[in-house]
Amino acid sequence: MIVRALLTTWMAVIIIAAFLYAEAAQGFPGETSRILFFHVPQAWIATLAFLISMIASVLYLAKRNVKADYIAQSAAELGFLFCVLATVTGSIFAKATWGSFWNWDPRQTSIVILLMIYGAYFALRSAVPDTERKRVFAAAYSILAFAAVPFLVFVVPRITSSLHPENTMNPASPGMDPKTLKVFLGSLFAYTGLFVWMLRLKIRILTLEGWRVRDLFR
Amino acid sequence: MHQTKNGRQTTQTRPSTYLNEAVAIWLRDLRSEFRTRYALNAILMFAVTTLIAVSFSIGSFRIEEAERPFLYAVLLWIILTFSALSGLARSFVKEEEAGTMDILKLSARPQAVFLGKLLFNLTLLGAVELIIVPSFILLMAYQINFPGFFIAMIISGGIGLAAGTTIIAAMISRASARGALFSALSFPLLLPLMITAIKGCERAAVGIGTAGWPEVKMAVAYVIVMVIMSLFLFPLVWEE
Repeated sequence: MIVRALLTTWMAVIIIAAFLYAEAAQGFPGETSRILFFHVPQAWIATLAFLISMIASVLYLAKRNVKADYIAQSAAELGFLFCVLATVTGSIFAKATWGSFWNWDPRQTSIVILLMIYGAYFALRSAVPDTERKRVFAAAYSILAFAAVPFLVFVVPRITSSLHPENTMNPASPGMDPKTLKVFLGSLFAYTGLFVWMLRLKIRILTLEGWRVRDLFR
Repeated sequence: MHQTKNGRQTTQTRPSTYLNEAVAIWLRDLRSEFRTRYALNAILMFAVTTLIAVSFSIGSFRIEEAERPFLYAVLLWIILTFSALSGLARSFVKEEEAGTMDILKLSARPQAVFLGKLLFNLTLLGAVELIIVPSFILLMAYQINFPGFFIAMIISGGIGLAAGTTIIAAMISRASARGALFSALSFPLLLPLMITAIKGCERAAVGIGTAGWPEVKMAVAYVIVMVIMSLFLFPLVWEE
Protein backbone atom coordinates (compact mmCIF):
# COMPACT_ATOMS: atom_id res chain seq x y z
CA MET A 1 0.00 0.00 0.00
CA ILE A 2 2.66 2.47 1.09
CA VAL A 3 4.87 1.30 -1.78
CA ARG A 4 2.09 1.98 -4.25
CA ALA A 5 1.50 5.46 -2.84
CA LEU A 6 5.21 6.22 -3.06
CA LEU A 7 5.36 4.93 -6.62
CA THR A 8 2.38 7.06 -7.65
CA THR A 9 3.92 10.17 -6.13
CA TRP A 10 7.31 9.45 -7.68
CA MET A 11 5.77 8.88 -11.10
CA ALA A 12 3.81 12.14 -10.84
CA VAL A 13 6.94 14.04 -9.82
CA ILE A 14 8.84 12.58 -12.77
CA ILE A 15 6.11 13.52 -15.25
CA ILE A 16 6.01 17.09 -13.98
CA ALA A 17 9.81 17.32 -13.88
CA ALA A 18 10.07 15.91 -17.41
CA PHE A 19 8.05 18.84 -18.73
CA LEU A 20 8.94 21.66 -16.38
CA TYR A 21 12.29 21.01 -14.68
CA ALA A 22 14.43 19.48 -17.40
CA GLU A 23 15.35 21.64 -20.36
CA ALA A 24 14.74 20.59 -23.96
CA ALA A 25 17.94 19.30 -25.51
CA GLN A 26 19.69 21.27 -28.24
CA GLY A 27 19.41 20.07 -31.81
CA PHE A 28 15.91 18.69 -31.62
CA PRO A 29 12.87 20.48 -33.00
CA GLY A 30 10.82 22.12 -30.27
CA GLU A 31 10.15 20.05 -27.21
CA THR A 32 10.60 16.68 -28.93
CA SER A 33 13.65 15.69 -26.90
CA ARG A 34 11.43 15.24 -23.84
CA ILE A 35 10.46 11.86 -25.28
CA LEU A 36 13.70 10.66 -23.71
CA PHE A 37 12.02 10.50 -20.30
CA PHE A 38 9.26 8.16 -21.47
CA HIS A 39 10.36 6.33 -24.58
CA VAL A 40 13.76 5.10 -23.40
CA PRO A 41 12.50 3.65 -20.08
CA GLN A 42 9.69 1.91 -21.99
CA ALA A 43 12.15 0.33 -24.39
CA TRP A 44 14.36 -0.63 -21.44
CA ILE A 45 11.42 -2.34 -19.72
CA ALA A 46 10.47 -4.16 -22.93
CA THR A 47 13.99 -5.59 -23.17
CA LEU A 48 14.22 -6.32 -19.45
CA ALA A 49 10.89 -8.17 -19.57
CA PHE A 50 12.09 -10.24 -22.51
CA LEU A 51 15.20 -11.19 -20.53
CA ILE A 52 13.20 -12.01 -17.38
CA SER A 53 10.79 -14.10 -19.41
CA MET A 54 13.67 -16.08 -20.91
CA ILE A 55 15.37 -16.67 -17.54
CA ALA A 56 12.07 -17.75 -15.97
CA SER A 57 11.55 -20.11 -18.93
CA VAL A 58 14.94 -21.74 -18.31
CA LEU A 59 14.02 -22.09 -14.63
CA TYR A 60 10.68 -23.62 -15.53
CA LEU A 61 12.27 -26.21 -17.81
CA ALA A 62 14.86 -27.05 -15.16
CA LYS A 63 12.62 -27.19 -12.09
CA ARG A 64 9.08 -27.50 -13.53
CA ASN A 65 7.94 -24.95 -10.99
CA VAL A 66 4.60 -23.44 -11.99
CA LYS A 67 5.57 -20.15 -10.43
CA ALA A 68 8.43 -19.80 -12.95
CA ASP A 69 5.95 -20.19 -15.78
CA TYR A 70 3.69 -17.53 -14.24
CA ILE A 71 6.68 -15.19 -14.14
CA ALA A 72 7.60 -15.98 -17.75
CA GLN A 73 4.05 -15.39 -18.96
CA SER A 74 3.51 -12.23 -16.93
CA ALA A 75 6.84 -10.75 -17.99
CA ALA A 76 6.06 -11.52 -21.63
CA GLU A 77 2.63 -9.87 -21.44
CA LEU A 78 3.97 -6.75 -19.76
CA GLY A 79 6.96 -6.72 -22.08
CA PHE A 80 4.60 -6.74 -25.03
CA LEU A 81 2.66 -3.82 -23.56
CA PHE A 82 5.81 -1.74 -23.05
CA CYS A 83 7.12 -2.80 -26.44
CA VAL A 84 3.96 -1.42 -28.09
CA LEU A 85 4.29 1.79 -26.06
CA ALA A 86 7.94 2.20 -27.07
CA THR A 87 7.09 1.55 -30.71
CA VAL A 88 4.27 4.07 -30.75
CA THR A 89 6.14 6.82 -28.91
CA GLY A 90 9.22 6.19 -31.04
CA SER A 91 7.15 6.38 -34.18
CA ILE A 92 5.63 9.71 -33.16
CA PHE A 93 9.13 11.02 -32.45
CA ALA A 94 10.28 9.73 -35.85
CA LYS A 95 7.48 11.68 -37.54
CA ALA A 96 8.38 14.83 -35.67
CA THR A 97 12.11 14.67 -36.33
CA TRP A 98 12.82 12.42 -39.34
CA GLY A 99 9.63 13.22 -41.23
CA SER A 100 7.99 9.82 -41.41
CA PHE A 101 6.32 7.50 -38.94
CA TRP A 102 8.11 4.48 -40.28
CA ASN A 103 11.30 4.10 -42.32
CA TRP A 104 12.78 0.75 -41.18
CA ASP A 105 15.48 2.34 -39.15
CA PRO A 106 17.56 -0.44 -37.48
CA ARG A 107 15.92 0.38 -34.15
CA GLN A 108 12.47 0.08 -35.69
CA THR A 109 13.42 -3.21 -37.32
CA SER A 110 14.63 -4.74 -34.09
CA ILE A 111 11.59 -3.62 -32.10
CA VAL A 112 9.26 -5.06 -34.74
CA ILE A 113 10.99 -8.42 -34.46
CA LEU A 114 10.67 -8.28 -30.69
CA LEU A 115 6.93 -7.58 -31.16
CA MET A 116 6.64 -10.50 -33.58
CA ILE A 117 8.35 -12.84 -31.14
CA TYR A 118 6.03 -11.78 -28.34
CA GLY A 119 3.06 -12.23 -30.67
CA ALA A 120 4.20 -15.71 -31.68
CA TYR A 121 4.74 -16.60 -28.02
CA PHE A 122 1.12 -15.71 -27.17
CA ALA A 123 -0.18 -17.48 -30.28
CA LEU A 124 1.67 -20.62 -29.20
CA ARG A 125 0.33 -20.39 -25.66
CA SER A 126 -3.24 -20.03 -26.84
CA ALA A 127 -2.99 -22.83 -29.41
CA VAL A 128 -1.79 -25.65 -27.18
CA PRO A 129 -4.72 -27.04 -25.20
CA ASP A 130 -2.78 -29.08 -22.63
CA THR A 131 -1.60 -26.84 -19.76
CA GLU A 132 1.64 -28.64 -18.93
CA ARG A 133 2.59 -28.98 -22.59
CA LYS A 134 1.75 -25.35 -23.26
CA ARG A 135 4.18 -24.26 -20.55
CA VAL A 136 7.03 -26.41 -21.85
CA PHE A 137 6.51 -25.31 -25.45
CA ALA A 138 6.25 -21.65 -24.55
CA ALA A 139 9.43 -21.88 -22.47
CA ALA A 140 11.30 -23.69 -25.25
CA TYR A 141 10.16 -21.12 -27.81
CA SER A 142 11.17 -18.25 -25.58
CA ILE A 143 14.70 -19.65 -25.24
CA LEU A 144 14.96 -20.40 -28.95
CA ALA A 145 13.88 -16.87 -29.84
CA PHE A 146 16.42 -15.48 -27.43
CA ALA A 147 19.14 -17.46 -29.23
CA ALA A 148 18.08 -16.20 -32.67
CA VAL A 149 17.79 -12.51 -31.78
CA PRO A 150 21.53 -11.72 -31.41
CA PHE A 151 22.03 -12.51 -35.10
CA LEU A 152 19.99 -9.45 -35.91
CA VAL A 153 22.65 -7.22 -34.44
CA PHE A 154 25.00 -8.35 -37.18
CA VAL A 155 22.60 -8.49 -40.09
CA VAL A 156 20.31 -5.51 -39.73
CA PRO A 157 21.54 -3.21 -42.48
CA ARG A 158 23.02 0.20 -41.77
CA ILE A 159 23.28 -0.51 -38.08
CA THR A 160 25.97 2.12 -37.79
CA SER A 161 24.01 4.72 -39.70
CA SER A 162 20.88 4.64 -37.61
CA LEU A 163 19.05 7.93 -37.27
CA HIS A 164 18.26 7.00 -33.70
CA PRO A 165 19.69 9.68 -31.42
CA GLU A 166 21.89 7.98 -28.88
CA ASN A 167 25.21 9.76 -29.05
CA THR A 168 23.56 13.09 -28.40
CA MET A 169 21.35 11.80 -25.65
CA ASN A 170 23.37 9.01 -24.13
CA PRO A 171 23.31 9.35 -20.33
CA ALA A 172 26.85 7.99 -20.17
CA SER A 173 28.24 10.63 -22.49
CA PRO A 174 29.50 13.78 -20.81
CA GLY A 175 27.36 15.93 -23.10
CA MET A 176 24.15 15.27 -21.22
CA ASP A 177 22.66 18.09 -19.22
CA PRO A 178 22.78 17.25 -15.47
CA LYS A 179 19.11 18.20 -15.00
CA THR A 180 18.13 15.93 -17.88
CA LEU A 181 20.25 13.16 -16.47
CA LYS A 182 18.58 13.46 -13.06
CA VAL A 183 15.07 13.28 -14.48
CA PHE A 184 16.03 10.49 -16.87
CA LEU A 185 17.47 8.28 -14.15
CA GLY A 186 14.46 9.06 -11.96
CA SER A 187 12.15 8.04 -14.78
CA LEU A 188 14.09 4.84 -15.38
CA PHE A 189 13.66 4.05 -11.70
CA ALA A 190 9.96 4.93 -11.77
CA TYR A 191 9.26 2.76 -14.81
CA THR A 192 11.19 -0.16 -13.33
CA GLY A 193 9.18 0.21 -10.11
CA LEU A 194 5.96 0.34 -12.10
CA PHE A 195 6.99 -2.76 -14.02
CA VAL A 196 7.87 -4.71 -10.87
CA TRP A 197 4.56 -3.74 -9.28
CA MET A 198 2.57 -4.73 -12.38
CA LEU A 199 4.55 -7.95 -12.70
CA ARG A 200 3.80 -8.98 -9.14
CA LEU A 201 0.13 -8.15 -9.64
CA LYS A 202 -0.02 -10.22 -12.81
CA ILE A 203 1.73 -13.17 -11.18
CA ARG A 204 -0.77 -13.00 -8.30
CA ILE A 205 -3.68 -13.03 -10.76
CA LEU A 206 -2.27 -16.04 -12.59
CA THR A 207 -1.64 -17.86 -9.31
CA LEU A 208 -5.24 -17.25 -8.20
CA GLU A 209 -6.58 -18.39 -11.57
CA GLY A 210 -4.41 -21.48 -11.31
CA TRP A 211 -5.93 -22.28 -7.92
CA ARG A 212 -9.47 -21.84 -9.11
CA VAL A 213 -9.07 -24.17 -12.07
CA ARG A 214 -7.21 -26.76 -10.04
CA ASP A 215 -9.88 -26.71 -7.33
CA LEU A 216 -12.63 -27.16 -9.88
CA PHE A 217 -11.18 -30.38 -11.18
CA ARG A 218 -10.15 -31.80 -7.83
CA MET B 1 20.86 -65.78 -35.38
CA HIS B 2 22.05 -67.32 -32.14
CA GLN B 3 21.03 -70.47 -30.37
CA THR B 4 20.31 -69.83 -26.71
CA LYS B 5 20.53 -72.50 -24.02
CA ASN B 6 16.92 -73.55 -24.27
CA GLY B 7 17.10 -73.78 -28.01
CA ARG B 8 15.19 -70.59 -28.90
CA GLN B 9 16.50 -68.38 -31.64
CA THR B 10 17.16 -64.71 -30.95
CA THR B 11 18.37 -62.04 -33.26
CA GLN B 12 21.64 -60.44 -32.44
CA THR B 13 21.06 -56.73 -32.10
CA ARG B 14 23.77 -54.22 -32.68
CA PRO B 15 23.90 -51.43 -30.12
CA SER B 16 22.09 -48.57 -31.81
CA THR B 17 23.83 -45.23 -31.96
CA TYR B 18 22.32 -41.80 -32.38
CA LEU B 19 23.53 -41.74 -35.93
CA ASN B 20 22.00 -44.98 -37.15
CA GLU B 21 18.74 -44.24 -35.33
CA ALA B 22 18.64 -40.86 -37.06
CA VAL B 23 19.45 -42.42 -40.41
CA ALA B 24 16.78 -45.07 -39.89
CA ILE B 25 14.16 -42.38 -39.25
CA TRP B 26 15.39 -40.40 -42.24
CA LEU B 27 15.17 -43.43 -44.57
CA ARG B 28 11.75 -44.37 -43.22
CA ASP B 29 10.46 -40.84 -43.82
CA LEU B 30 11.96 -40.80 -47.27
CA ARG B 31 10.27 -44.09 -48.09
CA SER B 32 6.88 -42.96 -46.86
CA GLU B 33 7.34 -39.61 -48.61
CA PHE B 34 8.26 -41.41 -51.81
CA ARG B 35 4.99 -43.36 -51.63
CA THR B 36 2.70 -40.41 -51.08
CA ARG B 37 4.84 -37.45 -52.15
CA TYR B 38 2.54 -35.34 -50.03
CA ALA B 39 5.05 -32.92 -48.52
CA LEU B 40 7.16 -32.59 -51.65
CA ASN B 41 4.11 -31.93 -53.82
CA ALA B 42 2.75 -29.38 -51.38
CA ILE B 43 6.00 -27.42 -51.09
CA LEU B 44 6.88 -27.71 -54.73
CA MET B 45 3.46 -26.59 -55.93
CA PHE B 46 3.57 -23.65 -53.57
CA ALA B 47 7.05 -22.72 -54.78
CA VAL B 48 6.22 -23.16 -58.46
CA THR B 49 3.00 -21.17 -58.14
CA THR B 50 4.79 -18.28 -56.45
CA LEU B 51 7.62 -18.43 -58.94
CA ILE B 52 5.18 -18.28 -61.85
CA ALA B 53 3.27 -15.43 -60.25
CA VAL B 54 6.50 -13.47 -59.74
CA SER B 55 7.87 -14.25 -63.16
CA PHE B 56 4.58 -13.49 -64.89
CA SER B 57 4.00 -10.17 -63.17
CA ILE B 58 7.57 -8.91 -63.18
CA GLY B 59 9.19 -10.73 -66.08
CA SER B 60 12.90 -10.60 -66.73
CA PHE B 61 13.25 -7.04 -67.98
CA ARG B 62 10.78 -5.00 -65.97
CA ILE B 63 13.25 -4.20 -63.21
CA GLU B 64 16.11 -1.78 -63.90
CA GLU B 65 19.43 -3.54 -64.39
CA ALA B 66 21.02 -1.83 -61.37
CA GLU B 67 18.18 -2.88 -59.08
CA ARG B 68 18.13 -6.50 -60.18
CA PRO B 69 20.79 -8.10 -57.91
CA PHE B 70 19.03 -6.94 -54.74
CA LEU B 71 15.40 -7.33 -55.82
CA TYR B 72 15.97 -10.76 -57.36
CA ALA B 73 17.68 -11.95 -54.17
CA VAL B 74 14.67 -10.70 -52.17
CA LEU B 75 12.17 -12.42 -54.48
CA LEU B 76 14.12 -15.68 -54.51
CA TRP B 77 14.36 -15.84 -50.73
CA ILE B 78 10.73 -14.91 -50.24
CA ILE B 79 9.79 -17.81 -52.50
CA LEU B 80 12.14 -20.23 -50.73
CA THR B 81 11.28 -19.17 -47.17
CA PHE B 82 7.54 -19.25 -47.61
CA SER B 83 7.68 -22.53 -49.53
CA ALA B 84 9.59 -24.01 -46.60
CA LEU B 85 7.02 -22.58 -44.19
CA SER B 86 4.21 -24.10 -46.24
CA GLY B 87 5.45 -27.67 -45.98
CA LEU B 88 8.22 -28.37 -43.50
CA ALA B 89 5.80 -28.78 -40.59
CA ARG B 90 4.57 -31.88 -42.36
CA SER B 91 7.41 -34.03 -40.96
CA PHE B 92 5.90 -33.97 -37.47
CA VAL B 93 2.28 -33.27 -38.27
CA LYS B 94 2.05 -36.53 -40.19
CA GLU B 95 3.23 -38.50 -37.14
CA GLU B 96 0.52 -36.87 -35.07
CA GLU B 97 -2.15 -37.52 -37.71
CA ALA B 98 -1.15 -41.13 -38.26
CA GLY B 99 -0.90 -41.75 -34.52
CA THR B 100 2.67 -42.97 -34.80
CA MET B 101 4.11 -40.45 -32.34
CA ASP B 102 4.14 -42.87 -29.38
CA ILE B 103 5.79 -45.68 -31.31
CA LEU B 104 8.46 -43.27 -32.51
CA LYS B 105 9.04 -42.16 -28.93
CA LEU B 106 9.61 -45.76 -27.89
CA SER B 107 11.85 -46.69 -30.77
CA ALA B 108 14.37 -43.87 -30.87
CA ARG B 109 16.05 -41.38 -28.62
CA PRO B 110 14.76 -37.80 -28.89
CA GLN B 111 17.95 -36.31 -30.30
CA ALA B 112 18.01 -39.03 -32.94
CA VAL B 113 14.40 -38.24 -33.85
CA PHE B 114 15.32 -34.60 -34.20
CA LEU B 115 18.34 -35.35 -36.39
CA GLY B 116 16.36 -37.77 -38.54
CA LYS B 117 13.59 -35.23 -39.10
CA LEU B 118 16.16 -32.52 -39.76
CA LEU B 119 17.79 -34.73 -42.40
CA PHE B 120 14.41 -35.37 -43.95
CA ASN B 121 13.54 -31.68 -44.04
CA LEU B 122 16.95 -30.95 -45.55
CA THR B 123 16.36 -33.52 -48.28
CA LEU B 124 12.95 -32.05 -48.99
CA LEU B 125 14.26 -28.50 -49.12
CA GLY B 126 17.23 -29.60 -51.21
CA ALA B 127 14.89 -31.13 -53.77
CA VAL B 128 12.80 -27.95 -53.86
CA GLU B 129 15.87 -25.72 -54.22
CA LEU B 130 17.20 -27.96 -56.99
CA ILE B 131 14.09 -27.25 -59.01
CA ILE B 132 13.22 -23.70 -57.99
CA VAL B 133 16.62 -21.99 -58.06
CA PRO B 134 17.58 -22.96 -61.65
CA SER B 135 14.04 -22.16 -62.84
CA PHE B 136 14.22 -18.78 -61.14
CA ILE B 137 17.59 -18.05 -62.76
CA LEU B 138 16.24 -19.02 -66.19
CA LEU B 139 12.89 -17.27 -65.93
CA MET B 140 14.23 -14.04 -64.49
CA ALA B 141 17.51 -13.89 -66.46
CA TYR B 142 19.38 -13.69 -63.18
CA GLN B 143 23.02 -12.69 -63.76
CA ILE B 144 25.33 -14.28 -61.19
CA ASN B 145 28.98 -13.28 -61.12
CA PHE B 146 30.12 -15.66 -58.39
CA PRO B 147 28.37 -19.01 -58.96
CA GLY B 148 30.40 -20.82 -56.27
CA PHE B 149 29.48 -18.28 -53.62
CA PHE B 150 25.87 -18.22 -54.82
CA ILE B 151 25.56 -22.01 -54.55
CA ALA B 152 27.17 -21.99 -51.09
CA MET B 153 24.70 -19.30 -50.01
CA ILE B 154 21.70 -21.25 -51.34
CA ILE B 155 22.87 -24.44 -49.62
CA SER B 156 23.76 -22.87 -46.27
CA GLY B 157 20.58 -20.77 -46.33
CA GLY B 158 18.52 -23.88 -47.06
CA ILE B 159 20.14 -25.74 -44.16
CA GLY B 160 19.37 -22.72 -41.99
CA LEU B 161 15.69 -22.80 -43.00
CA ALA B 162 15.46 -26.46 -41.98
CA ALA B 163 17.51 -26.00 -38.79
CA GLY B 164 15.36 -23.10 -37.59
CA THR B 165 12.00 -24.73 -38.25
CA THR B 166 12.32 -28.42 -37.35
CA ILE B 167 11.80 -27.97 -33.60
CA ILE B 168 8.96 -25.54 -34.27
CA ALA B 169 7.33 -28.24 -36.39
CA ALA B 170 7.51 -30.63 -33.43
CA MET B 171 5.77 -28.04 -31.24
CA ILE B 172 3.00 -27.08 -33.59
CA SER B 173 2.12 -30.69 -34.38
CA ARG B 174 0.52 -30.79 -30.91
CA ALA B 175 -1.27 -27.49 -31.27
CA SER B 176 -4.42 -26.37 -33.00
CA ALA B 177 -4.36 -24.09 -36.09
CA ARG B 178 -1.08 -25.67 -37.17
CA GLY B 179 -0.40 -24.11 -40.55
CA ALA B 180 -0.78 -20.50 -39.50
CA LEU B 181 0.99 -21.11 -36.22
CA PHE B 182 4.00 -22.67 -37.92
CA SER B 183 4.62 -19.57 -40.00
CA ALA B 184 3.94 -17.22 -37.11
CA LEU B 185 6.42 -19.00 -34.84
CA SER B 186 9.10 -19.65 -37.43
CA PHE B 187 9.23 -16.30 -39.16
CA PRO B 188 10.78 -14.23 -36.34
CA LEU B 189 13.44 -16.92 -35.91
CA LEU B 190 14.15 -17.08 -39.64
CA LEU B 191 14.29 -13.35 -40.28
CA PRO B 192 18.01 -12.90 -39.41
CA LEU B 193 18.85 -15.81 -41.69
CA MET B 194 16.66 -14.47 -44.47
CA ILE B 195 18.28 -11.03 -44.35
CA THR B 196 21.72 -12.69 -44.40
CA ALA B 197 20.84 -14.90 -47.36
CA ILE B 198 19.41 -11.96 -49.30
CA LYS B 199 22.59 -9.96 -48.75
CA GLY B 200 24.66 -12.97 -49.77
CA CYS B 201 22.79 -13.55 -53.01
CA GLU B 202 22.96 -9.85 -53.81
CA ARG B 203 26.72 -9.97 -53.28
CA ALA B 204 27.02 -13.00 -55.57
CA ALA B 205 25.16 -11.18 -58.33
CA VAL B 206 26.52 -7.69 -58.06
CA GLY B 207 30.20 -8.59 -58.24
CA ILE B 208 31.54 -6.50 -55.37
CA GLY B 209 33.77 -9.37 -54.35
CA THR B 210 33.15 -12.27 -52.03
CA ALA B 211 36.27 -12.03 -49.86
CA GLY B 212 35.86 -14.00 -46.65
CA TRP B 213 32.37 -15.26 -47.57
CA PRO B 214 30.83 -13.33 -44.64
CA GLU B 215 27.18 -14.21 -45.34
CA VAL B 216 27.89 -17.92 -45.76
CA LYS B 217 29.82 -17.95 -42.49
CA MET B 218 26.95 -16.14 -40.84
CA ALA B 219 24.43 -18.69 -42.11
CA VAL B 220 26.66 -21.54 -40.92
CA ALA B 221 26.92 -19.92 -37.47
CA TYR B 222 23.13 -19.61 -37.41
CA VAL B 223 22.77 -23.30 -38.28
CA ILE B 224 25.19 -24.31 -35.52
CA VAL B 225 23.40 -22.20 -32.89
CA MET B 226 19.94 -23.39 -33.91
CA VAL B 227 20.91 -27.07 -34.07
CA ILE B 228 22.64 -27.00 -30.68
CA MET B 229 19.72 -25.15 -29.05
CA SER B 230 17.29 -27.58 -30.67
CA LEU B 231 19.26 -30.61 -29.46
CA PHE B 232 18.98 -29.24 -25.92
CA LEU B 233 15.33 -28.26 -26.13
CA PHE B 234 13.95 -31.00 -28.33
CA PRO B 235 13.93 -33.80 -25.70
CA LEU B 236 11.83 -31.57 -23.43
CA VAL B 237 9.38 -30.73 -26.20
CA TRP B 238 9.28 -34.27 -27.53
CA GLU B 239 8.64 -36.04 -24.26
CA GLU B 240 5.91 -33.64 -23.18
